[in-house]
Amino acid sequence: MIQFINVTKEYENGLRALNNVNLIVERGEFVFIVGASGAGKSTLIKLLLKEIEPTAGALFVNDRDLTQMKPKEIPFYRRSMGVVFQDFRLLPDKTVFENVAFAMEIVEASRKEIRRQVPAVLSMVGLASKANNYPSQLSGGEQQRAALARALVNNPSILLADEPTGNLDSATASEIMKILNMINHRGTTVLMATHARDIVDSMKKRVITFHKGTIVSDKEKGEYFFED
Amino acid sequence: MKIRTWKRMVRQGFLNVFRNRIMSLASISAIAAALFVLGLVMAVVMNINNIVSSLESKVEITVFLKDNTSKADIDNIEQQINSWDGISECQFISKHQALNKWREEWGDKKYLLDGYHESNNPLPDSFQITAIKPEFVEGIVEKANSIQAVEKVQYSKDVVDSITSIASTTRIFGLSIVGILIAMAMVIINNTIRLSVYSRRREINIMKYIGATDWYIRWPFLMEGMLLGLFGAVLSSGLVAAVYSLLEKRMGGPSIENNLLSLFQLLPLDAILYQIAVLFILIGSIVGTIASLLSMRKHLQV
Ligand SMILES: Nc1ncnc2c1ncn2[C@@H]1O[C@H](COP(=O)(O)OP(=O)(O)OP(=O)(O)O)[C@@H](O)[C@H]1O
Ligand SMILES: [Mg+2]
Repeated sequence: MIQFINVTKEYENGLRALNNVNLIVERGEFVFIVGASGAGKSTLIKLLLKEIEPTAGALFVNDRDLTQMKPKEIPFYRRSMGVVFQDFRLLPDKTVFENVAFAMEIVEASRKEIRRQVPAVLSMVGLASKANNYPSQLSGGEQQRAALARALVNNPSILLADEPTGNLDSATASEIMKILNMINHRGTTVLMATHARDIVDSMKKRVITFHKGTIVSDKEKGEYFFED
Repeated sequence: MKIRTWKRMVRQGFLNVFRNRIMSLASISAIAAALFVLGLVMAVVMNINNIVSSLESKVEITVFLKDNTSKADIDNIEQQINSWDGISECQFISKHQALNKWREEWGDKKYLLDGYHESNNPLPDSFQITAIKPEFVEGIVEKANSIQAVEKVQYSKDVVDSITSIASTTRIFGLSIVGILIAMAMVIINNTIRLSVYSRRREINIMKYIGATDWYIRWPFLMEGMLLGLFGAVLSSGLVAAVYSLLEKRMGGPSIENNLLSLFQLLPLDAILYQIAVLFILIGSIVGTIASLLSMRKHLQV
């Protein structure tokens, strides 16, 4: 499903954020990407979103070679991925419903589909009652639920989460983790970059640890690996 | 794209114009100013063309004779003229008759001509010739010019030539001003779109993650540019109509007796407004769209 073959990413300033990474993630897996700040976690996610290009190596997602993908195909490729970030990235002048519907408008869904699908996904993340609230009227956890609903509404096969609990307290964070776990049980592959050691340790999922751009540990049902 | 998506793009375009209203207003004024000048140039040129074509259909020729041409020569010339092709009428007007006619034309201001008498009459003897059709005019003028006693031949072509040169000067001068103004309008619209892109950068960023195509992201901004041009076109059409109808009133109604002045009868507003408005809408939306495209090429990396 996701395969990195000798992937190296060097930024324009010569900084090597990922160094010769080899990695396979199977369909339906739940994987934590951990490592100190600057280890290359976000770089890995950006590569998967095709926001940046690898300097060397090959990168496959759903049997498609990302390095060979034409620019025109990128939007359609991205529709197979959902993504959430630490800072939620909701549109402040749209309600929760509109923020989620926005993702469906972009893929030109019909109004009927939108009216059916948005409430369904909002109740899945437990936000049905706040559909008409604006992001400023929501708590951090609720905002992340809204962002999750937006990421999931087009039924992606892969969910990428870059520190989704970074701005949340631990109780709220574990609520979000429950939702991610449920989504994973429904068959979506989840890749989550995080610093949150307690979360990683409690979930008993696969943990891949990066250090300065290389994988230093990859464990099934692993725990937060620390090197110093 | 689907119809509902097009509707969305148009709505979003309107929304962008409205959200960005100060810059939108500046853009609309700039494009309206450029089109307004263009409208004035067009109005002048269209009127001149109208005068020219009405002059070209004129069949009158005036042949002025040298002073002291003898009565015998005059009769001789009259016979000669009547023998040419295409002559409908040839009337002799003596210098004496010409002076009287002048007095008549000047009406209550004829006292200004009191100083002129038979002895110092400045007007020459002349023949007033009418051709059957405009096509004969050139030939008649040529022959008249070859007569010894003829001082000067006057006909509409002279006027046509000088008016035509006024028209082409107006066109060149006016259109270069229009060109400069359009370039300025493009710069302003370009900046407006840049600001609009900037104010929607978060949305654009999210759209990219979700998988919006480049054109899905671009269209609202294209619509915005096009709308700015369209609004400018509507505004300037209104301005041209207002100024023109004011001018029409000043120049008086269609019943001016004086022959010369009636040449300068303005075309009625509705005869020119339709063409001007259609052209404005075309130019406005094209300029707006191009400015928007240029702005996006620079400021919207999708
Ligand atoms: N656009 C960029 N240009 C240059 N260097 C970059 C760029 N983006 C990231 N880097 C560098 O690449 C390295 C890896 O960055 P990355 O964002 O992947 O780290 P991270 O593991 O996500 O860290 P954090 O936990 O702080 O989010 C860092 O040293 C960072 O400074
Ligand atoms: Mg990061």
